[in-house]
Parts: sequence; structure tokens; C-alpha cells
Amino acid sequence: MNPLAPYDSRQQGWTRRDAAHLLWRTQCGASEAEVARALIEGLEKTLDRLLTPPAEDASFAETAALLRQTAGDADDIDQLKTWWLYRMTEGPSPLTEKMCLFWHNHFATSNVKVRSAKHMAAQNDLFRTHALGDFKALLAGIARDVAMLIWLDGNANRHRSPNENFARELMELFTLGVGHYSEADIREAARAFTGWHVRKDEFWFNRLQHDTGGKKVFGSSGNFDGDEVLRLCLAHDACPRFLALKLLREFVVPSPGESEIAALAASIRAHDFQMRPVLRELLGSQLFFSAAARHSLIKSPVQFVLGACRTLEVRPNLKAIARIIANLGQDLFLPPTVKGWEGGRLWITSATLFQRANFAASLTGSDTYGKLTAPVTTVTRQAELLLACDADTAPAATWYDKASGSIESRARGALHLILTMPEFQLT
Amino acid sequence: MNRRHFLTRSAGLIALGAAPPAFLSRAVAAENKDPNQRILVIVQLSGGNDGLNTVVPWADDAYHAARPSLAVKRDSALKINDHIGLHPQLSGMKELYDEGVLSIIQGVGYPHPNRSHFRSMDIWNTAQPESEFTGDGWLGRALDSNLSRFAGKVPALALGMDNLPLALVAPRTNVPTIRSIDDYQLRFSDTAASDRKLQQSLARKLADGKTGGDTGDLGFLRQSLSTAIDSAERLKEVTASYQPAAPYPKTQLASNLKTVAQLIAGELGTRIFFVSLGGFDTHARQAGSHAALLGELSGAVSAFYKDLKAHNLADRVLLATYSEFGRRLKENGSLGTDHGAASQMFIASAAAKGGLHGPHPSLTDLDDGDLKHATDFRSVYATLLDRWLRIPSAPVLGKDFAPVDFLRA
Repeated sequence: MNPLAPYDSRQQGWTRRDAAHLLWRTQCGASEAEVARALIEGLEKTLDRLLTPPAEDASFAETAALLRQTAGDADDIDQLKTWWLYRMTEGPSPLTEKMCLFWHNHFATSNVKVRSAKHMAAQNDLFRTHALGDFKALLAGIARDVAMLIWLDGNANRHRSPNENFARELMELFTLGVGHYSEADIREAARAFTGWHVRKDEFWFNRLQHDTGGKKVFGSSGNFDGDEVLRLCLAHDACPRFLALKLLREFVVPSPGESEIAALAASIRAHDFQMRPVLRELLGSQLFFSAAARHSLIKSPVQFVLGACRTLEVRPNLKAIARIIANLGQDLFLPPTVKGWEGGRLWITSATLFQRANFAASLTGSDTYGKLTAPVTTVTRQAELLLACDADTAPAATWYDKASGSIESRARGALHLILTMPEFQLT
Repeated sequence: MNRRHFLTRSAGLIALGAAPPAFLSRAVAAENKDPNQRILVIVQLSGGNDGLNTVVPWADDAYHAARPSLAVKRDSALKINDHIGLHPQLSGMKELYDEGVLSIIQGVGYPHPNRSHFRSMDIWNTAQPESEFTGDGWLGRALDSNLSRFAGKVPALALGMDNLPLALVAPRTNVPTIRSIDDYQLRFSDTAASDRKLQQSLARKLADGKTGGDTGDLGFLRQSLSTAIDSAERLKEVTASYQPAAPYPKTQLASNLKTVAQLIAGELGTRIFFVSLGGFDTHARQAGSHAALLGELSGAVSAFYKDLKAHNLADRVLLATYSEFGRRLKENGSLGTDHGAASQMFIASAAAKGGLHGPHPSLTDLDDGDLKHATDFRSVYATLLDRWLRIPSAPVLGKDFAPVDFLRA
């Protein structure tokens, strides 16, 4: 059976847990009201809504613009983190921001080398423009992106001494994956990008440094320029497969099987790299709602922290959450290497588990990270809201029954325990 | 204080005739000098430490001529030999030197030195001066090359910092940064004392979860949580009874090193600790501030060493300092010094040979006004990796570097 066959919610059901599964995977967390809305609207309408970002309202747009401007003017990357986290928590399209983070990890660029909040912000805008759109356009944009050119030594790529840095990562990390190209392909491709430089903080095609000679890439010959090499990469069979693998690992299961990769790769090719219809198919598929996919991914620090905040209706203190997210291993705009964050089990060590638990203690027991506004309900309901799975919630219930203090404080203590559960680390 | 004292004081259980708890038997096992138990503590001196006013060529006229207002006076240097001595604020480290447990590697640097803070600190942290920027650190790569050896543990910790230092950035190993020891245990806010026990036992139950298979990531998470709670309890036992055997000064660095000592005694399996002392970018009026920084360094390092020694840990732990560059020979017009090149590294450990390694850089044979290096910093790293941590250095550093002979056989 085709793993991407549509999930038929009328026949197969559309429960609170199904809705929660979809929301947790497409945005970070889901409040009681959001789950209820998705439940009433049904799968199709919810998917349409998630994938069609509404316009930003004026007050949100104004605050976001101000945060972005301040970060750029002060060249303060920490400030830029709060801008992005503001967009993630308050913005009209959480899925757009999730895809921005997906592309940030895919085209991982670090301010450690770029050293410019403005350039990092511009790159982030590029991710946003194409977040749910055309991967081909995104790739063309990233090849001209100032932060990327600084990151992968664009200016060092000259006619007489080509620098292979960008060409190598283009094939290894951006489009094909190891094993689908030769060293000769990289050398030749690097020549096609010679002269793609930065001047006065802008992309500049430096004609004098561009090698117009003949090149041979993946067996085709021609006087290729950079755009033609990008087209060759996109035309390569490995490209949709490479993207399919990454999308499956982000949205569905940690270790996708061959039939799943092949099915999604075919969809990517059929939709000519348009992400919206590809995601529509993936998120509405049998595979996505299969038992194997449920609670199979370890939450990234962003998913963990924002998921807890959004679900418990906390308007977070953005500076504080930027810091805890960084401490948990996902320092935005500062990925560890050009490979991005590998994620999965590598998010988890004894120290990060304590930090997750202690974040939960502060979130539920103090205002350090923001004010908890969700109505405090029974342990069973809180557990269902946060976990949406069959988990043993006896410890939280025992706390609620046996601890001293007011109902409210005991309920908050129970919340702390729920957020500390191994089950809550999964999505 | 000897080990017996430590054990008796730390537990009191021995006196009751109970079997020693697990963490104490580990402390005993550790005494067999298993290289897997060795620990590296890095103290990063951020800003570019003025090496010439740290290890002072007090007898050199060129030194006094180049630094008419900043030179350490001939009679106030803590003399090591007829040519050089330590800054007067380094009395604690001078004691270590005299005891033969402080090695000073002189003239450490790299070819074509870069005088930008950021770039030079990146170079020291990545250990890749020539090659393209890869974004990971030398210690991070060392950890990744031994991933299986450290599985489930916290192989490295950065302490007292907001951000992970580049040296520890690894593609695969997630190195935590903690600000204090409180970050390494479950915190319960506003909980009545009577409830603490309940909460602790419930937290442990979370790791035992009854539903769902223990295969896959859920099993992994439960196992990790259970390991974490065990190690935190162990740490708590140790820290509750931990008596620093030497008084630590009331400085930030001393407090961080004291925490490191506690974590080492807690036997968490952490092999690399990273702490930082900032403020060395002394372009103006440096005499007072530089002296204070050296005083903080010296007081903290000597207390740390004495504490470890009393706990019988001094030969398992090696502390090394580095800074992104030294400073120019000539003082500038504002009673400070500008970015320079080669400088020294300190190694403190009972396993160190002690003494001076390599000649003091010449003050007359200069490279554009800067001291020339005699030892590549990657040679020191290679020694720390190969001979101390027993992690093969060539894959981490890209090639073989001749070791520096500062360790006892």
C-alpha cells in the first residue's frame, strides 16, 4: 500500500488525540482551545488552515518589525533570537516558523562566523518567504544569500583558485547527500560558482572572477554557471530522496523505511519541489497517522519549551526561553556546524534532562518564564492535554492527592511532574 | 587530609559498619590510575592575557625599556631563575611551581598569528588555523571520536558560562553548560520540606513507567532519566559531606573550580571541565586590573590543587590554561598593551613534571613587534589528548604534532 495514501478521517476516526498529534507536529504544542477547534473543523479543514498562513495583523507585524530592527541595529544576535521566538509563539502561522527552523537546520549557518545579526535576519526572512513554497527558489536564494556566502567562503571562490566549500555542502548537505557525486563533480561545480561574491553587504556577481569555461557535472558538459549547477542538482534522482528523508525525520518517524522515502520522493518530484502540496500529502497520510508515527520523535528544545508554553497558555519571557533553549542544546542562529543539529537521542543527556525538568518546575511554580494562564484542571485532563497518549500518570495523581498546599499549588506540582515524564519528551 | 579521612568525613557510614556506598567504592577504584578516569580542566583566560607580565623576564633590559610604566619591578617578581619570575600576584601558583606540580610551557602560539580576538580565540578553540572553518571545537571532536566510550554519561561540562564554548562544540555530543551545581539536580520550587521526599520518590517513579514498551526512544528516555536521578543523588551525598580541604577565595573562578572539585569527587564520569576567566583585554590602565585577574587565577588554581591533593585526586586531574594570544612587547600610550602573539600555558597537576618547558621568547628577535612562538599550541593539545586523555590526537587535530614533555612517565 502507498504509505502516503490519504488518511480517511470519516472512516478511520478523528479523535482528540489525532488532532493533538497533528498540531504538536506542525506547531509547537496546542492549547485546549486549539485542539477543540481542530476537532470541530475536521482534518481537511485543519490542514488547509495550517498550510495557508493568514495575513499578519498590524500590531503583531509592528512588534516583530521593531524587534528585528533593534537586533540588527545593535548587531545583537540574542535580540534576534527573541524576534524569532516571538514569531514562533505569537505569529499567525506556526507551521511557517517550523519550516523556517527546518530550513535553518538544513542550510545551517552560524553567526559564529557570519557575525552579523542583519545578515542572519535576512537569511531567516528568505527561509520564511519560501518556507512552504518552492524549494528551487529557496535554493537559488540561498546560493546568493550574504550570510551563506560569508559562511561558506564565497569571496574566496575565484577564477584561478576555486574554493570548493559551497559546492561541496551544496551536494553533501543541501541537495544530494554523501555518495551521489564525485570529488570531480565538486571541483567542477565550484568553478561554476566562482565570482559569486559579497560586496557592500550584498550579493555581487564578480564577472572578472567568474570562470566561463566548460565544465562537466554529473556527466553533462557545458559552460555552466551557478544556476545551471543548481538545476543539475535538482534534476538528480538523489535530490528528492534526500529531501524526503529529512522531511520524514522531521515530521513523521525517526528512521523512515525505503518505501516511505520512495513515496515521498515521488511526491516531491511530481509537485516539482513545491512544499505546500507535498506537506499536505504527508500530513494527511496513512503514514502520518499510523501507530508507528505516534510519539516516535524526541522533542527538540524548541518543541519542548515552546510546546509547554503554548499548551499551558504562557506568554513566555522570550529572553529567558531563548537562554534555556540554548542551554538545552539548540542555540538559534548558532548551530554547531554546517551539518546543523542532528537531534533525536543526542538532545538527551542527564544534564539536559535535569534542565528540562527544572524548566518545568520554574514554568509551573514561578513566573520566571511567564505567567501560567491555562485553567488548572484535574490531573487526568492535564495529562491528556500534554501527553495525548496512554501513560502512567499515577505519580502526578499521587502528588495531587498527598502533597500539602492549596489545590492550585498541588495541581501545578502535578503539571511539573507531567512535563518531566519521559513520555512528554516525545512527540 | 588523606583518603581515609575523606571517607570517614564524607559518609559516616563506615563508622556504622555499613558497606560503603557505591560512589565511595568508585573513588577507591579510581586510585588505580586508570587513564579512563583522568580528568582535564581547562581554564580559558579570555581577552588575551599579557603573558609578559605573567611570566616576567625580570632580568631583561629590553623588557623594562619596552614597558617603562607597566614592567614588573626587578625586586618584586617572584623569581624562578636568573632571568624570569612570576607576577607578584601569582604567589599561590609560585608555591605549586616550587612543589614541582606546575609546568609552564613558554612561547606557545601558531604560525602567522591572527590578532583579532574572535578569530584567534576561534583558532585556539577549533585548533584549525589554516583550514576552512568547520565550526566544531577540538575537544568536541575528541568527544565525538569516542562517542561509545561516553554513552549515557555527561562527558564534558562547561561551568559558569551562558554559552557553550566553541572548544566543546561537537557535531554529535551534546555538552551541557551549567551555571551552578543546582542545575545538576531536580529542583523543586516552593515545596514544603515534608513533600520533598514524596516528590523525589515520584520523580523516580516517572522513570519506571508502566505503560508502553521499553524499546525505542521511550525506553532510552526512561533509562536516561533513571541514570540522571542516580547520579544526582550520588552528587548530593558527596556535596553534602564534601569538605574543601583548602580554603577557596571568594572569587567567581574559585567558586567554579570548587564546583568542579565537587563534581570530580562525585564521580559522575565527566572527563572534561571548562571554565573561563574573562577581562584580559587590557588595552588601557592595565596594571591594577591585570594584577587582580592574576590574583584571582592564582588563588583559585592553588586552592583547587590543594583541595584535590587532600582528596587524593591530584594525580587524576590536570588543569591547563590558555588564552587567545599574548600582548605586544611595547606598552601602548594609554598604560595598557595591545593584541600580540605568543604567550605561555600553565599546566597544574601532580602528574605534571613541573618546571619550565621551552625557552622564554626572545625580546629582541621579534615578528613585527611580537614575540615569536617556539611551541605550536596543537603540540600541547596533542599531548593532552594522546598522553593524558588517551584519545588519539591525529584525527582530532588533522595531523600528528610532536608532543611536549610535561607529563611524568
